[in-house]
Amino acid sequence: MPELKFKRGDVVRLEGQLSLEVKEGEVSVSGGLQGKGSKVVIPRSKSVPLEAEGEALIEYTLGQEGKIEQLSERTIPKEWDTLISEVIQRRPKTILVMGNVDVGKTFFTTYLSNKLLRHGLRAGAVDSDVGQADIGPPTTMGLGVFEQPVALLYEVPLSNAYFVGSMSPSGHMLEFVVGMKWLVEHGLKKADLVIVNTPGWISGGPGRALQLYTFELIGPDMVVALQRERELEHLLASLPPSRVRRLPVSTKVRPRSHAERAALRAMLVSKYFEDAGKLVLDLRRIRFERSYMGTGTPIDPQTLESGTNVIHAEKIPEGLLLVTRRKLSDKTLQELESKFRSVRVIKQGSERNLIVGLVNDASELLGLGIIEKIDYERGHVVVLTPVKNADEVAAVQIGSMKIKPTGEEVGTVRPGTF
Amino acid sequence: MTLEQSEFQKLVELMLELCEHHHGDPAALDAILSELKDLYKKIPIYPGIITMCLPKVVQPVEVDKLGVGDEVIFSLKDGQIVSGKVAEVNPKEIKLAESKQLNVSSLAEKVVVQKEAVGKAKRIMRDVIEKEWPTLDFEVE
Repeated sequence: MPELKFKRGDVVRLEGQLSLEVKEGEVSVSGGLQGKGSKVVIPRSKSVPLEAEGEALIEYTLGQEGKIEQLSERTIPKEWDTLISEVIQRRPKTILVMGNVDVGKTFFTTYLSNKLLRHGLRAGAVDSDVGQADIGPPTTMGLGVFEQPVALLYEVPLSNAYFVGSMSPSGHMLEFVVGMKWLVEHGLKKADLVIVNTPGWISGGPGRALQLYTFELIGPDMVVALQRERELEHLLASLPPSRVRRLPVSTKVRPRSHAERAALRAMLVSKYFEDAGKLVLDLRRIRFERSYMGTGTPIDPQTLESGTNVIHAEKIPEGLLLVTRRKLSDKTLQELESKFRSVRVIKQGSERNLIVGLVNDASELLGLGIIEKIDYERGHVVVLTPVKNADEVAAVQIGSMKIKPTGEEVGTVRPGTF
Repeated sequence: MTLEQSEFQKLVELMLELCEHHHGDPAALDAILSELKDLYKKIPIYPGIITMCLPKVVQPVEVDKLGVGDEVIFSLKDGQIVSGKVAEVNPKEIKLAESKQLNVSSLAEKVVVQKEAVGKAKRIMRDVIEKEWPTLDFEVE
């Protein structure tokens, strides 16, 4: 197996796929101390810096596209370490990390948490990148607590997750701010401090609103603004200056294209559903959340239309909610609209491939599911999920993406459809 | 006042702006509306991306840059509006297939446009989501 010797201060960039073992001395990977016998694995398309803490020797194996690149200088800006010293000294309870997409918020969080661990501080990290969640599966925000140093954030075990149901905050602002707050509260019970990675949506009305209301709701002790130039200044102008710390980005951040992001999401989804099985949930026992379905007074379909087209009907404050086998005739629709003011029609089968969150009675996410079908006549919903025990599931939270278990995204759903 | 919390507001404002900009050009408005319908069916949760894509549907273009297969709208100097798909480009004329002369509401199988008769030309980009954001180009029922 090839070996590499280091002297204090040497810096290399580890590009996956590769694995290494520290044979002598100590090295720092993503800021985390790795001593003799430690093993580090970097998957394909990921890269992290390794810095020698003194004289050290590693053994390594390179996989596809893997390489070790010698660097002439550190890739971590010195301002990052100055900030870490301040955090160690001041001990803030909550830190909000703001930044555009692809500025390295995830790496910064990993580096900061690893460094804090060296000083006995256990950081909880809230990952709000729902598209490529490192902590927890896609379409969720996750909380993980650093118990040991990691090279990459995804190695931190999932402690709690919050279902968003989409790959982006667009149209899901409430899920985002509620989810971040919920995870911060859980994190503060389990860790010494919580670091929140906010989404990279930083401009436009909704982007500004998301960042600023998150700030108001969480009330962080410190805001770390990771910027390439001055792209966060419009947000920082509305924040108390005493809490803001501006940091440059690491010099080796590589932006990802839409296609790369989609491919990575697909990989994460397919991995998540690898061991999934079918779970049949009893509609009389479970409830739907974030949905119109099941929130009204049931109506006998036969009283609405002759024949068997209408499978399910309920009266809701907004009008009438129907599930039908086929499209309703214009005449029937007009008659129902004149009687019920407004009619929402869900076509049977349109729920197929809808991503859902399965939660227990404490509203804790047990896992994701992909709806196969809702059988109103037999009174059950069939979900493909890694969750094994149907009795634990108290509610099904409706999402707004349609995804196949292979990870292929096959559509989005208009909010309010179900 | 507070910040906008949805991009639908911006989308409505864009629609109003496009209606004003293409006033008197039913072919352009028709193309924009049909693309809006298509985009909304595919990505109802991303009004911001719809807003980003929609202005690209009808774009001004120089007549000499048109190629076979381009879907175009010509505002002729005599006030007529002609739309269709470029079937042939010659030094002095462009032959359109599937063409419409919209000001007189009549359908024509083929129209020959003298280049010097063209006042303004616009090229139509269909399936704008496929070109701008292919990973969101979902099949719709």
